Amino acid sequence: MSKPKIGLFVTCLVDAMRPQIGWATLKLLEQAGCEVEVPRAQTCCGQPAGNSGDKRGAAALAQQVIETFEGYDYLVGPSGSCVGQIRSYPTLFSDPGWRKRAEDLAAKSFEILGFLHDVMSWQPEGVGLNASVTYHDSCSGLRELGIEAQPRALLEAVEGLEMRPLNGANVCCGFGGTFCVKYPEISTAIISEKTANIAATGADILLAGDLGCLMNMAGRLHREGAATRCFHTAEVLAGMADGPAIGEDA
Amino acid sequence: MSARDDIIAAVREGLKRGQGGALPRRAPAEIRAEAAALLAGLDEIRPSLVTPDPVEAFIQKCANPALGVTLDRVAGWAALPQAVTGYLDRHELPHRLAVSGDPRLSALGPGIETHAPCAPDEAAAISIASWGVAETGSVVIHSAPDQPILNAMLPRHWLVVVEAAKILPFLDDYATFASLRPRNAVLITGSSGTTDIEGYFVRGAHGPGFVHVLLIG
Amino acid sequence: MGAPEKSENFKQRAHDALADPNLKTAIERTTGTAETKRAAAIGAFPEFQAARVRGAAIKDHVIANLDHYLIEFERNATEAGAHVHWARDAKEAAAIVTRICTEAEAKIVTRAKSMLGEEIGLPHALEDAGIERVETDLAEHIIQLAHERPSHIIWPAMHRTREDVAELFFKDHQPPPDADDPASMVASARRVLREKFMAADVGISGANFLVADTGATCTVTNEGNAELSTTPPRIHIVTAGIEKLVPSTDHAMALLRLLVRSATGGEVTQYTTFHCGPKRVGDADGPEEMHIVLVDNGRSRMVGDEFRQMLRCIRCGACMNHCVVYRQIGGHAYGGTYPGPMGAVLTPVLDGLAASRDLPHACTLNGRCEEVCPVRIPLKTLLKAWRVRSWDSQQEVGAVRMGLGIWGFAARRPRLYHFGTRLALPVMRLFGKGGWIRKMPLAGGWTETRDLPKPAARSFMSQHAKYGNGGPK
Ligand code: SF4
Repeated sequence: MSKPKIGLFVTCLVDAMRPQIGWATLKLLEQAGCEVEVPRAQTCCGQPAGNSGDKRGAAALAQQVIETFEGYDYLVGPSGSCVGQIRSYPTLFSDPGWRKRAEDLAAKSFEILGFLHDVMSWQPEGVGLNASVTYHDSCSGLRELGIEAQPRALLEAVEGLEMRPLNGANVCCGFGGTFCVKYPEISTAIISEKTANIAATGADILLAGDLGCLMNMAGRLHREGAATRCFHTAEVLAGMADGPAIGEDA
Repeated sequence: MSARDDIIAAVREGLKRGQGGALPRRAPAEIRAEAAALLAGLDEIRPSLVTPDPVEAFIQKCANPALGVTLDRVAGWAALPQAVTGYLDRHELPHRLAVSGDPRLSALGPGIETHAPCAPDEAAAISIASWGVAETGSVVIHSAPDQPILNAMLPRHWLVVVEAAKILPFLDDYATFASLRPRNAVLITGSSGTTDIEGYFVRGAHGPGFVHVLLIG
Repeated sequence: MGAPEKSENFKQRAHDALADPNLKTAIERTTGTAETKRAAAIGAFPEFQAARVRGAAIKDHVIANLDHYLIEFERNATEAGAHVHWARDAKEAAAIVTRICTEAEAKIVTRAKSMLGEEIGLPHALEDAGIERVETDLAEHIIQLAHERPSHIIWPAMHRTREDVAELFFKDHQPPPDADDPASMVASARRVLREKFMAADVGISGANFLVADTGATCTVTNEGNAELSTTPPRIHIVTAGIEKLVPSTDHAMALLRLLVRSATGGEVTQYTTFHCGPKRVGDADGPEEMHIVLVDNGRSRMVGDEFRQMLRCIRCGACMNHCVVYRQIGGHAYGGTYPGPMGAVLTPVLDGLAASRDLPHACTLNGRCEEVCPVRIPLKTLLKAWRVRSWDSQQEVGAVRMGLGIWGFAARRPRLYHFGTRLALPVMRLFGKGGWIRKMPLAGGWTETRDLPKPAARSFMSQHAKYGNGGPK
């Protein structure tokens, strides 16, 4: 069987804020036996426009993503919410041609952890991390893509890792994209409950599968003076959690 | 145009727009068939009984403390008076009951004083339910000349007689009898209660705080 | 806790709500319990997912044939002896009800909780007509004493603590309750309201279902107040939205299973009552007259637009119990009749988007509401549809519009975008101390309460351009 050809969708947040998640994703895909390309013509999936009601703006970006990625066997990205947006592209087009292309891309777009587990049936080998961790289910990944068991199953193979259940793991952290800056007071009240739950686990490390949520949780934890360190799950699986966590200086 | 005509026209207009500009006129029989098809395979969309025998399932449902119901099995109508006085004694209530005009209750016997109608602050009243529902532990009453609805609502203690032969398995089995179209058909499941103050469950909000089922046969 | 001054502004109302620690406790108690109980009830109902699909299909079928069912219901209700009235909007509906009351020379009117009654402004309309209105649902009784509106569609007084209720009852009830424990307070309300039930001239209820093939209206309550409001008075009035129709009692049962489990975690409510016409000849009790007011108020419009699926709503309240925003700010902050996710979809329909623009935006789109909705309303999609309308009608404020415009312009030009990131990242990094940014222009919404991780020195794309798949190391 020839190697599946992957177009890596880095996501704009990972691109600018934490490239290491991109490298981790790339590494994991290669370990799982994929051929990975990073198309230069990618920027953003269009979520900010889509969630603000700018359907035209969202559709324009969707066209760009479709054109850039439709030639690959799969589009894979390290974010449930971006992949969720890509999966929703068909709703943006009334033109049957574009709609078809959107549907085709949607059908082969995957979030990295779900892809490794469900499509590639891959398990990490020889990865270790001596730490206690807790895991937050990012909403889009959980409810739009059904990412729930996969990250937990993958993390089980990491040696030395102690998983601690998080109370309200499936409850939104209050990020919500532009929501968190449009309604900062409400967002803060929500994230403060999340961080209290995180603190209650006593875990060294918080993991999640979406950088937006992670930045929100890490940023609030840091402001509260908590010592919890935050990583994307892919970083741990790729053995890249030995360096600085989100917000830590290199 | 009247409000009625306006609303129906607006609904049709909405249906047309929502269905791409066409309003397919369908025969009532067709609509009925589609509605019926939506209830096919009821077992797929309803819970199964706690135990296959409806009477046994009904008894088990009534034993659920959340319902706030007590239940006595009574051998037959002849044993009813004894079961009733037993309940009243257990609750230290006088042998006095508000009853409906149902002749089966006139035989309650010399030991129990019966009267009608039910007073607003009645201590205890008794009714005969037409059916019981095993799925939920409900009893059903239909308003009638000999079935005052208020007897089930006003007293502090409501005693309700139901025959084992009248226990239906599911809510859907009762629905068949809705075609009798009484003024009121009331499915009563446990005692009245409220959680309106800080979520605390308090029994006897407006209706009876005590419901006692007398299951005959 | 006094009744807070209601601001015109959503953000201000939310701010006030967040500042009230009592409110947070009260909300958490009620919604927390509701969440736990619902989960247990669903756990014991393995057929739930299949039942949801069917429930949604039943409602869709009704809406797709709404004209048919309205006419069938009207025919059967009339045949059973009820008077059927039609109201295009809230004002018309309230006017019909008050007219019936005044023509009957009603002095006391009892009301069994109905959100539609709130929607059409019935409490005010009755008061304006000089009719004594007695709310009989315990929670409605509490908020009537407090002169408030419901803050939840199932527990209207959930924002009130036990101490608040005690204070209200001690002031109003004659004689006052023996103690401030919930049991004595409920007993006291029972005593006070019992007299009213028996003295009322008119009883008003809502309807959870309108049964087309029998002409019956269905109410569900746990307290028994609907039966006590509708049996003793001479006249029973039902107000109901036109979307409440179901083809038959069997269909009502299928939806009832979903409704009660989702609302309170029970299997059925203590009282499920089908009201079909007035008292029959010889009946032991019941009203002489029954009136049913069918209310449109924006619903027929929804039949034809992108909000049609919202007409499936059976008003169970599960979406708000599971909403992170509702659980922080409570119901009053939403400013409409209906709060929470379903309210955020419905309020713009009822009050106009201009007056409620914030509601569809004040949502993280986390999707938990639609995950629990027993009739699978795609609430997230509907909220986004309002955002589209808001954007298209230029109601989105300048800064957001401009910001997104610039972003979109760059994002559609990958080279420009990557060049821009290369320039912007070092600038942003200037605001950082250690790995974090505590303050940065234009980022106050974020940095007021949380730190922002310092961005990378070089973007992934620029690193990849340099090092290829092997990466920097
Ligand atoms: S939208 Fe769904 S969950 Fe919310 S009240 Fe309506 S039926 Fe219940």
